[in-house]
Amino acid sequence: MKYRVGHTTGYAYDEPVDLASHMLHLSPRTLPWQVVTAAQVAVQPPPSRVTEGEDHFGNHVCWVFLDLPHDRFEVTVQAQVEVLFPLPPPAEATPPWEQVAAAARAGGPAAWQAAEFVFDSPMALADAGVGAYAAASFPPGRPVLQGLLELNARIRRDFRFKPGATTVHTAAARVLAQREGVCQDFTHLMIAGLRALGLPARYVSGYLRTRPPPGAPPRRGADQSHAWVGAWLGPEHGWVDLDPTNDLVVRDEHVVLAWGRDYGDISPVRGVILGGGHHTVTVSVDLEPR
Amino acid sequence: MVDGRGGLRPHWRGLLGALTAFGDEGLQARARRLDRAFEEEGVTSVLPGAQADMHAWRCDPIPLLIPQDEFTALEAGLAQRARLLEAILQDIYGKQTLLADGTLPPALVFPNPGFLRPCCGLPPRHLLQLYAADLVRGPDGAWRVLADRTAAAGGLGYARENRRLLGRVLPEAFRTMQVRLLRPFFDVWQDALQRLAPPDPSGRPKANPAVALLTPGTANPQWFEHMYLSRELSCALVEGGDLTVRGGAVFLKTLKGLQQVDVLLRRMDGRMIDPLELEAGSLIGVPGLIDAARGGTVRIANDPGSGVVEAPALAAFLPALCLRLLGERLLTDSVPTLWLGEERARVMVQQDPARWLVRPALDGTVHALAPAVMEPSARQALMARVAARPWEWAASAAVPPSVAPCLTAGGLEPKPVVLRLFLVWDGAGWRAMPGGLARVMEPSGSTAGRPSQAAISKDVWVLTEDRSDIVGPAALIVPPVRLRRATGDLPSRVADNLFWLGRYVERLERAARLVRAAVARLGRGTAVMPHEVTELQALGRCLAEAGVIPPEAAGTAATTTMAEALLSAGRDAGSIGVMFAQVARLTESVRDRLTGDMYATFTQTLRAARADAAAVDRSLDGLSHAMVGIMRFSAAVAGVAAENMVRGGGWMFLDLGRRIERGQAVACEVAFALDQPPQRIDGGLRLVLELCDSAITYRSRYLNVLQPAPVLDLVLADQGNPRGLAFQLAQTHALLDELNGESGARALLAGAAAGLLAEVEALVAGVLAAADQAEAAAALPQRLPAIAAGIAALSDRITRRYFALLPAVQTLGLSGDSGELRGAA
Repeated sequence: MKYRVGHTTGYAYDEPVDLASHMLHLSPRTLPWQVVTAAQVAVQPPPSRVTEGEDHFGNHVCWVFLDLPHDRFEVTVQAQVEVLFPLPPPAEATPPWEQVAAAARAGGPAAWQAAEFVFDSPMALADAGVGAYAAASFPPGRPVLQGLLELNARIRRDFRFKPGATTVHTAAARVLAQREGVCQDFTHLMIAGLRALGLPARYVSGYLRTRPPPGAPPRRGADQSHAWVGAWLGPEHGWVDLDPTNDLVVRDEHVVLAWGRDYGDISPVRGVILGGGHHTVTVSVDLEPR
Repeated sequence: MVDGRGGLRPHWRGLLGALTAFGDEGLQARARRLDRAFEEEGVTSVLPGAQADMHAWRCDPIPLLIPQDEFTALEAGLAQRARLLEAILQDIYGKQTLLADGTLPPALVFPNPGFLRPCCGLPPRHLLQLYAADLVRGPDGAWRVLADRTAAAGGLGYARENRRLLGRVLPEAFRTMQVRLLRPFFDVWQDALQRLAPPDPSGRPKANPAVALLTPGTANPQWFEHMYLSRELSCALVEGGDLTVRGGAVFLKTLKGLQQVDVLLRRMDGRMIDPLELEAGSLIGVPGLIDAARGGTVRIANDPGSGVVEAPALAAFLPALCLRLLGERLLTDSVPTLWLGEERARVMVQQDPARWLVRPALDGTVHALAPAVMEPSARQALMARVAARPWEWAASAAVPPSVAPCLTAGGLEPKPVVLRLFLVWDGAGWRAMPGGLARVMEPSGSTAGRPSQAAISKDVWVLTEDRSDIVGPAALIVPPVRLRRATGDLPSRVADNLFWLGRYVERLERAARLVRAAVARLGRGTAVMPHEVTELQALGRCLAEAGVIPPEAAGTAATTTMAEALLSAGRDAGSIGVMFAQVARLTESVRDRLTGDMYATFTQTLRAARADAAAVDRSLDGLSHAMVGIMRFSAAVAGVAAENMVRGGGWMFLDLGRRIERGQAVACEVAFALDQPPQRIDGGLRLVLELCDSAITYRSRYLNVLQPAPVLDLVLADQGNPRGLAFQLAQTHALLDELNGESGARALLAGAAAGLLAEVEALVAGVLAAADQAEAAAALPQRLPAIAAGIAALSDRITRRYFALLPAVQTLGLSGDSGELRGAA
């Protein structure tokens, strides 16, 4: 599927900002199943310095620095992306989940990179309750993908999509208790639950196509930055992407920006400013087939 | 100190001989002198009002002795360990082959809080520059490493201070032994720091690289060491707020503008140094610092991510890693350590927990738990926690550390000690400081963590047969530097703090003068004379304006109310107590700009004054006495500053603060005192002379003739009267003129000061020319507030011009305030 991505983030400050540094995770990641034919990041006002590079997870990063007073900051991304995730293996053909957990724990040549995503991270901390919620889908010996698909569906079923009910810092345990939140919360909850079982899981940020394909039900979390879960199926099958907000296996309705342990690693626009006073943020996202 | 057969090890004989000569009482007296010396030097923050949980730094007068051959072996072993840790760091932040081939378990790296992912993207570099190891000597006489310190390797400042003060208190002992000197090590370190500087744009080494020590600030428990090291290494002492990143390079904000920094000696947690890429909430870091390091314009030592190899569990892997990475056998072992993520290790510990100390696998700062001394239920609970997440735990053998003689109240007693040694990378190899820092462990204390702040320290003497070691290497050859007289490179924050220190010292003194004047009138109880009632009202308004007493206590005619208010102002939480705390905080923050003697004078008189104030209970007499102490403190600050500070930027801002504060005070007080009907102006004039400490001068000039114009000339217009207003304005003008001289933007601020001076002179001339001087004087209270406001406005302009007031820092994208950038917000 070919897409045109447009993503604009604007900050309006009540008072001038004297100095600003921003770290942007906004360029779609190039992957075997995601071809990025064009990607442009434009910043207003013009920055005094821009550097580009890759972070530890291999995501594209853009650092911008502004050292003249400004009361608006706007960053726009335009990209052309073609995406088709491979089909996951048949669920019953995947190894028992305990075996996947053991491989991650052992590390070594086939598993050490996945092992990075098995440990607690600051924004996806599991408590006993979150672990137990996830464990219900993983009885002993169950093929790992069967458990993952069931958990993905349960979250869609059990939680209300409710913008404004949570903040960036709402803990997974709290989301579990109140049974509502947005895609970031469901993603963190599922990640924390899987890690509690010893299964590697990562946070994927990106976009969901604005209008669903003809005949499909409306999707939740479009028009905005979206987030979902990457889960590891063991050395043989690698990673599968699951969207617990919509109970989808990611295939061709999503575009990947970046992945990390949690939101904190790959926040799309992170920054430190001097001054600014109160500010308002506006975000618009378009993901249209072309 | 005792060999395997119970005999005295030979190198102790000379020292013990020298110590015996003092006799028991003599030795105890030396110990007390040593304690006092540390207190006077302010080694721990001993300022009044400083955190009560800070223990005074103490050093045992008996040093720990290490013979040269033993030291040589230790140096070789630790140098190898440092090379090994460097190689591990290179791999962790580079190719990660140790993880890929399974030599290092992921659990030691990925969840490690010292593993800073942004450091993976920095250019190739040596990550360790300073390394320290905590060692214990087992019953077999062999030294083993208890902990590796690679993040900050603190303690060098304390080690050096121990040596300096011990040399002062026990000179005889140094004469009997040949003790290697510490200073050459600091020269090597300083040189190594300079050589870290990135080359200039043409690729040549920088001629005069700028090195700065980055500290979290005065509230940090290690502040003394930061201050001390910045001096020993001749580098600037900076906080995050002093630095700014522009165009990918790091700059220090000074009075003259931005000055580039080439090397940062990092003394704050690596996670805190850059809120943009690391800990988002860090207000002490510098946004963009990692980007500058990535661009190669600045070097940070030790590398921000160097703490990852402090993980206690890593010790279990070092022998194998040493063979693998260096192709060598590990020379200095760790205390036997197991990583409980390994099944075999876990079983061993679970079968016999009492033999082990159990500790978190990744956090070397946490004290180890000793199952041997735990209640059975607590032990079971611990073992259950270990079983649930075994990879988060390590165990080390409980080794009884060997003992060394320590002085106690009952004489010399053997006590267990932990030794910290320090090594620096000089660009070609690792060199150990011939000395160190030993800590005396109390029997209850666990040795497997950071020694507690309360532990007594010991100096460490490396003995040598060879005199040349003591002379030290020839001085480093440094190219001739450009002569400098100006002090434009004073960091703006330091100038700011000195300015406010000047203001607060003056504010404190003013409070003391006013309180004393009020108490003199209240002290006689009910027999307050009528003219004194008027004076008390004026004083009450002055006291309220100065923030000493609440305004409602000033307006009342009841003398008991005012007495109550004054007594409560003097108490610790009262207004004067708050001023004390401000002065103490500011003194500490500019400590690196004060010589040791100056600092001691400031703090000792401040402490004495505060102790006096605290001793006041219900008596006005005591309060008055305490106020005298404050005035003595203020005079000491003025005297020390006048006689010891170079007349550059630092002194100028201290003095400027004082002048501005006193100028405002005089204008207000004269206005309040003269606010009387013209026929009663005499009482007001007397009060003016008293408050401005000018009564004697007046009498010597005019004998007993009291008239408005001569009084006002003396306190307002006479530039020769240091208590008068004109003096403050003239001096402010001179200081601003000199400061502006450096910037080119001449005369704007200085002109404002000159304008105020002219206004004041015109006021006094008006009174002199008036037909009725008393009436003209009584009209001044309408005019003087404008002068006071003018001085306040000048102070604001100085602040804006020199101190670069920074707006608040905010973090975007990770803050929870607006739900920004969240799905369908």
